[in-house]
Amino acid sequence: MGNKQTIFTTQQLDAYQDCTFFTRKEIIRLFHRYRDLAPQLIPLDYTNKPDVKVPYELIGSMPELKENPFRQRIAEVFSEDGEGNMTLDDFLDMFSVLSEMAPRDLKAYYAFKIYDFNNDDYICVSDLEKTLNKLTRNELSEDESRLVCEKVIDEADLDNDGRLSLEDFQHMIIRAPDFLSTFHIRI
Amino acid sequence: MGCLTPPTMTVKPWKSTGGAVNIAYQMDSEVDYITAPLDQSLPSTPHMGDLLRRRGTRKMSLFPGGGVALGKLGMTEEDIRDEIESEERDLVKELAAMSSRDQIQAIRVLPMSLEDKKHIRSQVLATKQSKHGLQLTCCSSCSEQVSRVSSRLLLEECGAHGHSFRKFAANLASARQALELWQGTMKEVGGKFGTSVLSYFLFLKWLLMFNIFSFLVNFGFITVPQLVQPPNRTNAVNFRGLELLTGAGYFNQSVLYYGGYSDEKIGEHSEYDMQLAYFFTISAYLVMCGVCLIYSMARSFQRNFVLSASGSAWQLLCSWDFSMTNERAIRQRKNNLRVQLKESISEKNQGDKMTMSDKLKQFGIHLGTWFISMGLAAGSCAAVFYLCEYNLQVIIDSQESRSTLTEASTLLLPFVVSLINLVIPLLYSLLSKAERYSGPRTKIYVIILRIGIYFSPLLPIMQMIKLFILFYLKKVSLNQNCQPPRRSGRAAQMQTMFIALLFFPSFVGALSMVGYTVWRYEGPGAGSRWTCCLKPSKHCGPFQGLNSTFQAVSLWMSREDTVSDYSWAVWIFDNMIKSALFFYLITIITLVLIYFFWQVTQGRRLLITLLREQIINEGKDKAFLLDKLQKLQRERQTAASTQRTNTHIPQRFERIQEIEPDYDRDFGGIPGLPHVEENIEPPGPPVASALIQAMIARRQAEEEEEEEY
Repeated sequence: MGNKQTIFTTQQLDAYQDCTFFTRKEIIRLFHRYRDLAPQLIPLDYTNKPDVKVPYELIGSMPELKENPFRQRIAEVFSEDGEGNMTLDDFLDMFSVLSEMAPRDLKAYYAFKIYDFNNDDYICVSDLEKTLNKLTRNELSEDESRLVCEKVIDEADLDNDGRLSLEDFQHMIIRAPDFLSTFHIRI
Repeated sequence: MGCLTPPTMTVKPWKSTGGAVNIAYQMDSEVDYITAPLDQSLPSTPHMGDLLRRRGTRKMSLFPGGGVALGKLGMTEEDIRDEIESEERDLVKELAAMSSRDQIQAIRVLPMSLEDKKHIRSQVLATKQSKHGLQLTCCSSCSEQVSRVSSRLLLEECGAHGHSFRKFAANLASARQALELWQGTMKEVGGKFGTSVLSYFLFLKWLLMFNIFSFLVNFGFITVPQLVQPPNRTNAVNFRGLELLTGAGYFNQSVLYYGGYSDEKIGEHSEYDMQLAYFFTISAYLVMCGVCLIYSMARSFQRNFVLSASGSAWQLLCSWDFSMTNERAIRQRKNNLRVQLKESISEKNQGDKMTMSDKLKQFGIHLGTWFISMGLAAGSCAAVFYLCEYNLQVIIDSQESRSTLTEASTLLLPFVVSLINLVIPLLYSLLSKAERYSGPRTKIYVIILRIGIYFSPLLPIMQMIKLFILFYLKKVSLNQNCQPPRRSGRAAQMQTMFIALLFFPSFVGALSMVGYTVWRYEGPGAGSRWTCCLKPSKHCGPFQGLNSTFQAVSLWMSREDTVSDYSWAVWIFDNMIKSALFFYLITIITLVLIYFFWQVTQGRRLLITLLREQIINEGKDKAFLLDKLQKLQRERQTAASTQRTNTHIPQRFERIQEIEPDYDRDFGGIPGLPHVEENIEPPGPPVASALIQAMIARRQAEEEEEEEY
């Protein structure tokens, strides 16, 4: 079964298999999902590593991501150019990290990056406010959202610098057993 | 061979548009696991933990200003590139030293983009191949290690074989995935309703597997021998359609019932004692059930209750379910979150404003509803009991008269019971609406508790077919009737609750019932004190003619040939099962162990708080030391600049001087004092530039050394 496909060379498939949590079959299936987003743009033959990207609008219209409030941040974090336009590698990487086989530390690392809106390696109060807005449809008043964000920093900031570093975030994740199953997208 | 300056990795950071695109800065992750890592997907080799803990850093972050700030620091692109490359070399060396399987897993968990991972992987493979190329032949190295490693590792060492082995493992994994039951349905349900509803269906799946296993055990040991040699039948009854509903008639004499089993010894050459087989199989099965349930309950309890966090931070950052794809569900979740957050804020602000009379009223309502629910449960019990007696009479009549109508009326009891089972939980949810509990979670727990208490006296025993049908029925009803849940449940804790519910009412109840019917204490002399067991039926079943079920075992033990052949078994029976002292001893030891472990838990909890404080203190230490470093550097500059005037170094020092520690911006205030809210503008070089500071200091030291020579 595995030798009949002509999309990738054997080395390419092996590399994908070793670097993601997917099996061969799943990689082929994901490739077809990727291609279905823009069939005229993506060639069927990837053996010579074409340099093509699917623009963010199409990625954000996938049924798995369409309604997700963080879809734009997810695409930005996993894309090469930081704008959400994804190559096949980015696509596979994204769903590999979000699959159920990825370990907690890896997921925590990327979740941290997703919530870090200004990309400064810390989740500060403005990042938290943006997260809150995305999660509550902008319906909390300014005072309320500020209160919530302060409460979050109080609870989670361990080294007392007024913002959450990756360690603070990981410490919180360790104590959240649900995290592995909630930070998960099935495809 | 391996390329030392990979263009792909270093070109990207200097794109002027992107900023920190795929560069990730992660300080040495010193989150030391206070308990063992609770994540099972991490392999347990020591390499793995070290790799993750020590080598989080792959590349350094850029400042928000991009290349401009770099220039400020006086560090050239070269320096940073060198640093990155040396780290990469170390990583490749470490990976090349691992076994194939560990290597793959280690590469998979690297926090890098896929392209970078592929690059690292190719370098590792190149390194490995070059290592093997140096040895004389592949096989001679393999034969050296034959004595040490298993044959599978041996295959992995030989590069060519390793490839096909990995292919085999991959095929195995995909085959296993194809066999996963109900995979598509799970995805649908998870997407539409969220992970907590999905947990119920996962629980059903777990129960199904469990029941399949128990079926295999029972079938293999009890039913198969019976089918091989069926007992003599008396009063053969023809099969009529009604039997499918009533379960009586034809089925009475078949293997579906206890009465269909004989008490003879089966087989001529090796005797297969049906009595003993029946008894021991059922006890072994119950014991295994108990062990499984206790084990999974303890594990999920530890995982989900002991260390779980709660509060605003958790709600905001960890609770969002990314797998939901249904728009309505998501909207509702957002509403729930908003309401919960608002509640938590208002609670914090107002405090408990209920007056005494309000509190009393609330308490009264709670008490009332509890009485009603207990009453309902007791009432249904009584109703079922009286109905049972009436039904018994009807059954006896039907056996004498044998008309279809009287047989059909035996169905009255099950019908009524099912009706009650449907109606009462609805009543319970109605009741719970009447109360106003503080949090939605309490409400759910109360309802579940009541339903559990209700079901336990009635002792439902789940069957395999029923589960199958139940699964599909629930799915259909869910799709047709349910909206996504109004409250966002916590999936992991729900799973624990399900298992606990299964264990306490159902299993313990069943166990005590079976124990009651079976056990009988053989006291000294004919008139034994314990006669609480049930006497097995005289005419059918494997235990015909005995005074108690347990007597089968005691008779077997006292037989002559058993004593000589299996003297160890007889000894165990005489001194352990029969003696009460043994059980007292076991109970005492268990209690002591429980107390000991409880103390250990208390100690660990204390340790957790202490370590948390230590983390805070170390953060403060770090800030303090950085500040000192800055001060010392500045002092050095001023001292140096007065001495030297014509070297290129002061340029760099000037640039470094621009980095002033701004307490409010960088350290969030003076450590230890409360700080004012900031963040009107993005912060300057963050404290995370510790590494860069250290590099600067080292560079200066090197330059000073050079100058001295």
